[in-house]
Amino acid sequence: MSEPYLFFHGITKRFGDTEVVAPFFDLKIAHNEFVVFLGPSGCGKTTLMRMVGGLEMPTTGQILLEGELAGPPDRRRGMVFQSYSSFPWLTLAENVAYGMRYRGDLSAEEKRERCSHYLEMVGLADFADAYPNRVSGGMRQRVAIARTLAAGSEVLLMDEPFGALDAQRRERLQAELRKIHRRDAKTVVFVTHDVEEAVFLADRIIVFSRRPARMLADLDVLSILGPDRPISLRDEERFFRLRTEVLQMVRAAAGDDE
Amino acid sequence: MSDQTAAIDIPAVQTEPRQKPVEAPNENGAGGGMFAFRAALPQRIEAAIAVGWCLVLLLAWEVSVRMGWVSSLFFPPPSIVLTRLWEMTAHEDLIYQAGVSTLRVWMAFGVSALMAVPIGIVMSSYRVVGAALEPVIDFIRYLPVPALVPLSIIWLGVGEETKIFLLWLGTFFQLVLLIADDARRAPHEYIEIAFTVGAKPRHILTDVCFRSMLPSMFDSFRITLGWCWTYLIIAEIVAADSGLGFVIWTARRYMHTADVMAGVVAIGIIGLVTDQILRRMHKRLFRYL
Ligand SMILES: Nc1ncnc2c1ncn2[C@@H]1O[C@H](COP(=O)(O)OP(=O)(O)OP(=O)(O)O)[C@@H](O)[C@H]1O
Ligand SMILES: [Mg+2]
Repeated sequence: MSEPYLFFHGITKRFGDTEVVAPFFDLKIAHNEFVVFLGPSGCGKTTLMRMVGGLEMPTTGQILLEGELAGPPDRRRGMVFQSYSSFPWLTLAENVAYGMRYRGDLSAEEKRERCSHYLEMVGLADFADAYPNRVSGGMRQRVAIARTLAAGSEVLLMDEPFGALDAQRRERLQAELRKIHRRDAKTVVFVTHDVEEAVFLADRIIVFSRRPARMLADLDVLSILGPDRPISLRDEERFFRLRTEVLQMVRAAAGDDE
Repeated sequence: MSDQTAAIDIPAVQTEPRQKPVEAPNENGAGGGMFAFRAALPQRIEAAIAVGWCLVLLLAWEVSVRMGWVSSLFFPPPSIVLTRLWEMTAHEDLIYQAGVSTLRVWMAFGVSALMAVPIGIVMSSYRVVGAALEPVIDFIRYLPVPALVPLSIIWLGVGEETKIFLLWLGTFFQLVLLIADDARRAPHEYIEIAFTVGAKPRHILTDVCFRSMLPSMFDSFRITLGWCWTYLIIAEIVAADSGLGFVIWTARRYMHTADVMAGVVAIGIIGLVTDQILRRMHKRLFRYL
């Protein structure tokens, strides 16, 4: 790897007296990689991810995107939150279109096309004119994903985006997200504390310690599970084994000093 | 589906024994269910109870006066108050006076709102401004408006300005804090979404904060508009030759108690109607909620 695509370079982060990220945190993420941050609650995953988005500044150290300082937020780095992930006063189509609102490089016609393209991609073409309060939580998350794609984000930052969904919706959406990632190659940083979700989605899992966050493990899932993740993968032996392995790792991390 | 299967299906469903509706566990006798602690009440019954009780109270009042238990000089019965209300509306100038009052309220309220919205939003968006203004506003907010009547007369005389000023005084300082609060409650996620699709700070205010606070702002308006009516009477009693406050105060001077009450009822009706209209508007405007 000559130059990492996304580079956490010697990061430290503290809020007042609370040290959130242990000193000199280093992490390199490759282009198009699907990286999952996994760790106990309150360990600093969200904070690390928000730093990529420019929503939080590291106390010391740098975040480099393609060798350049990541800096304040822009549309290269899109966010999908667990709640409040879309604007309630806009229809689903308008929410997706909002991703392009500040783009001067697209004509109105192009924006319309992209909007329906991404709505279609996340399977919401039939609900284009509905308001978010009329659709399920899963659909709202898909809208948020479509919005970031429409915005042309190159890095998708997702903070427990499926955390509030029921198990079935979650599984479906995870599979869809993997497909979208395959089709519309993006770099994804995905935060969760659900091991199964992490194993199913990730090319690579970073396991964190309790706060202050340190990297406990860097697991190459891609070489074990491959790039395609059909829902049936969950029933396979290798998936099971990997999940158990990661689960034990996370338990050990959570139990550090409990 | 063919007719045949339908013919078979229907009787099968009908012969099914009907399930009894589930009863509240602590039901105690006839109709006791609605008296159970925190029991749900059908909307129709709720409305009926509300209206029924009002009628009962009015009837009790009417009867008490008619029987001579209370003096009709001090408590003219509802029938007379309503008759007077009708006469004042139809043959005297109550409509005009109500119009004058309404105009004053809306003028003062309009000025308050026009000032409170930008100032409130700026106060909550820039802590520097908030820190500077909040103590002052909080102080004035707790001053009773009647206490400021003499001052405002000294400053502005007894003209229209004084009345508007007093109403403004009573609403602006409350409203600006409500608006600041509404603006503060815009979820930070919305703002961050905007930033991560390339919005600049100047977009955030209009495209996100303002949009997301609209429903609660509308509610704040509705509430302060009601307060405006409270202060109207004070303003019109102090110095006015028109308006509902003037009507009430004049009637008092001649001990026309029924007219006083009719004036009060008129204010109540205007308030109720305005509130209902605004509630409906809220529902229509913010259907996405
Ligand atoms: N703006 C802030 N000011 C002060 N402390 C903060 C701030 N943001 C986060 N923290 C603290 O930093 C720690 C890490 O928070 P963070 O949200 O990154 O954890 P997390 O791993 O995402 O947790 P969770 O799984 O619960 O979402 C927490 O203890 C939190 O209280
Ligand atoms: Mg978090």
